[in-house]
Amino acid sequence: MLRRGWFLPIAAVLGFAFLYAPIVSLVLFSFNENRLVTVWTGFSLKWYGELFRDPQMINAAILSLQIAAIAATIALVLGTLAAVALVRFRRFRGRTLFSGMVSAPLVMPDVITGLSLLLLFVAMESMLGWPQGRGILTIVIAHATFCTAYVCVVVQSRLSDFDRSLEEAAMDLGASPVRTFFDITLPIIAPALVSGWLLGFTLSLDDLVIASFVSGPGSSTLPMVIFSKVRLGVSPDVNALATIIIGIVAIGVLIATIIQLRARPKKARA
Amino acid sequence: MAKKPQLAIDTRPWRDSANNKPFVRIRNVTKKFGDVSAVHDVSLDIYRSELFCLLGGSGSGKSTLLRMLAGFETPTSGIIEIDGQDMTDVPPYNRPVNMMFQSYALFPHMSVEQNIAYGLKRDHLPKAEIDARVAELLALVKLQDYGKRKPHQLSGGQRQRVALARALAKRPKLLLLDEPLGALDKKLREETQFELVKIQEQLGVTFIVVTHDQEEAMTLATRIGVMNQGEIAMIGEPTDIYEFPNSRFVAGFIGSVNMVEGTVTEDEPDHVRIRSAELGCDIYVGHGVDCAPDQILWWAIRPEKMALSREKPENPFNANVTTGIVEEIAYLGDISVYQVALESGKRIRVSQTNNVRGNPDAITWDEQVFVTWDDNAGSVLTV
Repeated sequence: MLRRGWFLPIAAVLGFAFLYAPIVSLVLFSFNENRLVTVWTGFSLKWYGELFRDPQMINAAILSLQIAAIAATIALVLGTLAAVALVRFRRFRGRTLFSGMVSAPLVMPDVITGLSLLLLFVAMESMLGWPQGRGILTIVIAHATFCTAYVCVVVQSRLSDFDRSLEEAAMDLGASPVRTFFDITLPIIAPALVSGWLLGFTLSLDDLVIASFVSGPGSSTLPMVIFSKVRLGVSPDVNALATIIIGIVAIGVLIATIIQLRARPKKARA
Repeated sequence: MAKKPQLAIDTRPWRDSANNKPFVRIRNVTKKFGDVSAVHDVSLDIYRSELFCLLGGSGSGKSTLLRMLAGFETPTSGIIEIDGQDMTDVPPYNRPVNMMFQSYALFPHMSVEQNIAYGLKRDHLPKAEIDARVAELLALVKLQDYGKRKPHQLSGGQRQRVALARALAKRPKLLLLDEPLGALDKKLREETQFELVKIQEQLGVTFIVVTHDQEEAMTLATRIGVMNQGEIAMIGEPTDIYEFPNSRFVAGFIGSVNMVEGTVTEDEPDHVRIRSAELGCDIYVGHGVDCAPDQILWWAIRPEKMALSREKPENPFNANVTTGIVEEIAYLGDISVYQVALESGKRIRVSQTNNVRGNPDAITWDEQVFVTWDDNAGSVLTV
């Protein structure tokens, strides 16, 4: 047993500092008046104003949000189907393989995923003529691919706690299988679907590496624009943008967590 | 203890199966999961307004049989008829049958009222009628003030009653109950048994109850079907099952029993004599048995059907008396169970009513005692 002393508090402070100091400094400097990122001269919101006057940034942001929303939705459908297959059909030929393949993108380095998708799209274009070139469509497909894995994991855990007799009870009371799905199954797994979607949305919004591989001219996502801007030197409006994104992501994660937490105790007691 | 439905002889239709049409007919039903037969060639008739218990250990196939009646499983072969209609391939949502689940399966996102109304809404009844029916059911299960609550805000006993009300809402012809009292504690269980029987009598619905608890089956049932390894081992009224078991399995499964092996030495139309080395004496059975001389068979007797004494009792047939040493005594308040070690090393259990308060003269440990029984007290079993 460790004695209560100075070690644990200091370790905790250092740990949090290591994780969050860069983010805090970024947020602080987004309100800096000076053009030099590292020199604090006074509070100002001018970089936020600057940001909203930059059409390249704004367009990229809108594009990223659209891609994230579509990719998360596709991933939600596919991931839920995969989770249902894995949980409901305990034994089928190739189950282990399927389960492994579904969750593989979780541990696959982005570079590999991006590169392999790029090669696939190029090959498909030359053989099938589809997808034509690379752009929004290919980014959506790529993002949906890896988000599916996350959705599947989240929904799977919820489904495996699901009491099958609830569905049987509904059918016993005269509900058809479709009716049962909408009346019983969907409301009960809804929290997992919402948090799966939000997770997919945030991951897609975040992604730089995969998008860089599979995007084409005129389809630069927000992370790509930021990355290219930063290479030319860090400008303070990037800080402002980053602060906004951190805010959105934090709110998203918070909502997902709250929904999951509120769903848990109810089920535990019911 | 719950009261059993008191039926006059003429309301026991199974005693006159030639003139009564069964309500549920299960004909040669087999269910296989892969190579394993969960239910094997079961045939069973259940009559209207019966409270029939399917009793068996885990893996005996009782739940699978119930699930086939509900429609959640389809028989591999055989026919299930309910009220004269073939139900074998009818999906659960089209059957005139409702089920009360072991886990209750209350919908967690709906209130008590919504849970009970769910089945009625599926029938598209007018709202006023649904409301009236829900109120009526809440009154039936004494939960009038709990309609707006969610299932997780109820106690175990209350949930059990909501599940019962929901299952009764559509006025099913047949109600299936899967371990209806399994999740309740002992005291609540006894009260609920009573209520369950009362509701069943009041509504006249046919109940089929699955249970592993023999006491529950004995108290509730008009008839019991004992299941073993996917087959029906015996069907009968509780007294038949307990007093006249048809096999060693049934004798051993219900209640406690002393079972010994013996050889037939006399086989007469009015009596049978069995020599048992295990018991150390002859067994004189006061009625004819379908057996042959020198046949090896088993004889089973309930602990309460034997008597203990210090002096050797009379034995007119030179049988039905053996002796041993009291090895253990289990004092249960109303009765005491004595474990007596016979000379052969066989241990038998004898229970005696404690009808004298704090009896100082009671038989005690390490005493030599004589054990005796009536010539019709035991069952002769050939399988």
